Parts: sequence; structure tokens; C-alpha cells
Amino acid sequence: MDITTERPNADLAVIGLAGELDGSNFEHLIEAGRLARDGGARRIVLDLSGLTYMGSSGLVAIHSIALLLRGQEPTSPDNGWQAIHDLSAAPAEGLDGALTLAGPPASIERVLDRSGMLGLFAVYPDRATALAAAVAASA
Amino acid sequence: MTERAAGGKSDTITISADVAQLAGVRAFVREHVAAAGGDAETAADLVQAVDELVCNVVGHGYGGRPGIVEVAFVASPTEIGFRIRDDAPPFDPTALPVPPLDRPLAERRLGGMGVHLARTLTDGFDHRILPAGGNEVTVRKRRRSSTEASDGHHDRATER
Repeated sequence: MDITTERPNADLAVIGLAGELDGSNFEHLIEAGRLARDGGARRIVLDLSGLTYMGSSGLVAIHSIALLLRGQEPTSPDNGWQAIHDLSAAPAEGLDGALTLAGPPASIERVLDRSGMLGLFAVYPDRATALAAAVAASA
Repeated sequence: MTERAAGGKSDTITISADVAQLAGVRAFVREHVAAAGGDAETAADLVQAVDELVCNVVGHGYGGRPGIVEVAFVASPTEIGFRIRDDAPPFDPTALPVPPLDRPLAERRLGGMGVHLARTLTDGFDHRILPAGGNEVTVRKRRRSSTEASDGHHDRATER
């Protein structure tokens, strides 16, 4: 999986994914989110349009980035699979829109839907629409 | 490590317990579903189910210890599927409860999500302990005629 991060402005990062997101590389995505956050990004658009597969580990990565943007720390990926179980420590009030998703192919959207996560994140049809919304939200 | 039997397309792939092997397992599943005449949706569902289950075996079953996982294509006149065998401690994923999808995030356990997907995307999901030890999990989907191809997903989530 290729991960590319762009910074349209100081508040915003766009992380683009291409290829297959699975148990072998989901921690790389979490780290990309952490780097963006540490670099000052308060909002992240995750462009999923280039993904050809996403396992449930991808859901963990998305969830973890949302927590990072809230200033919270997901369980260290160094703890491996325990990190996935410990995500139940996430906040009860839901997520606040700092992370949005762009362009998920139908197969990826289906995974989000079946996991009950589709309603937790704003999903935009493409990167440009998501970017415009994120810029407007941070203005 | 990836081994295939010599002499044409093998119905079995044996991998080391390493998440780096997952892409090869998915390719194996895609190839066999296509060869069996399965449509794109059947392929996507079985790819997801097998990937999630093998990932769980590697991460939870072996827990980072060395081991092997064998994935075999299985077919009948009415169904196609895959059988996953490991030598890890006994664990029955079919007994895991359905995650509470409508609960607040705080009460979610994403760790069960892979098994939930495997269950809801397939028509058969079985586990047994092998006589010599280890686990065998089988996922199956019904063969569909082309006229059924657009009739949406069979969703077992609401039945359990």
C-alpha cells in the first residue's frame, strides 16, 4: 500500500492510500496520521479512492487516527493485536468530524457499513469535495 | 514462505504465520473463485472472510510465534469456499458474539470485527478442532446463477 500525505494548509492534511490496506500495513497508516497530527494538522481527509482492499485492520487504523486528532492516544501499535482489543477505551460521545473519508470504492464502503462505522465519519464522494468541506469547516 | 504443489494449479496454499503473507492468500482466493466461475461479489466476500480469519490466526492464534497456516479451496455443486487450518491453540471464532454495532464507540470491541465480517459475508462458517490438534475453520458461499448476481447481499447479521 502506498501512503502519500499532502498539507494544503497548516490545519489540514490529506492522506491518500493506494493498494491493499490489511493486517500487514495498517500501522503504517496510523503512523502517517500521527505524523500529520504532530505536524500541526487538526483535520485529516483520508482519501480511500485508490484502495483495492481493506481488512478490518483498516477500521482500526481509521479509528486510531480519529482518536489521535482528539488528542487521545490509541494503544501503542507496539502492543500488536492487543491494540485492537483496547480500542474499546474510545470516547463514548462519538467522533467530532476532524477525520473525514473521501472516495471509498463500493467494496470499501461496504466494509465501513457492515462494521457500523459508516455513520461515525462524514464520507465524501471524492477528494476535492472532502477537501472543500474540510477547508470550510476550519475557516 | 509460499508453497504450491508441483504440476498445475494447487488447491492448497501453505504460508508462514506472518501478516506479510496475507496478500498472497488473497490472490489465492481470488484466483480460485474466478476459476470456479464465482462472480465478483462472491470473490470479494470470500477474499475478505479468508483474509480476516487468517489474519486472526496469525495475530491471535499464533500471537507472533512461528507457525504455518494452510488454506485450501473447497467446492461442491452448490457451494464454494475455503478451509483454513492451523496448529495454534484451540479457538472457535464462530462462537464469538456479534459486535454491538449500534452501541457507543466506547463499548465497541473492534477486535471482533474481522470475525463479524467473515460471518456476515458468507453462507457457511464452521469450526472444528482437528484430531491431531489445531483448528479448522471453513467459510462457504452458495454458488449463484448469473440472474441472482444483482440481488444484493445475503445478510446473516440479523438472523443471529
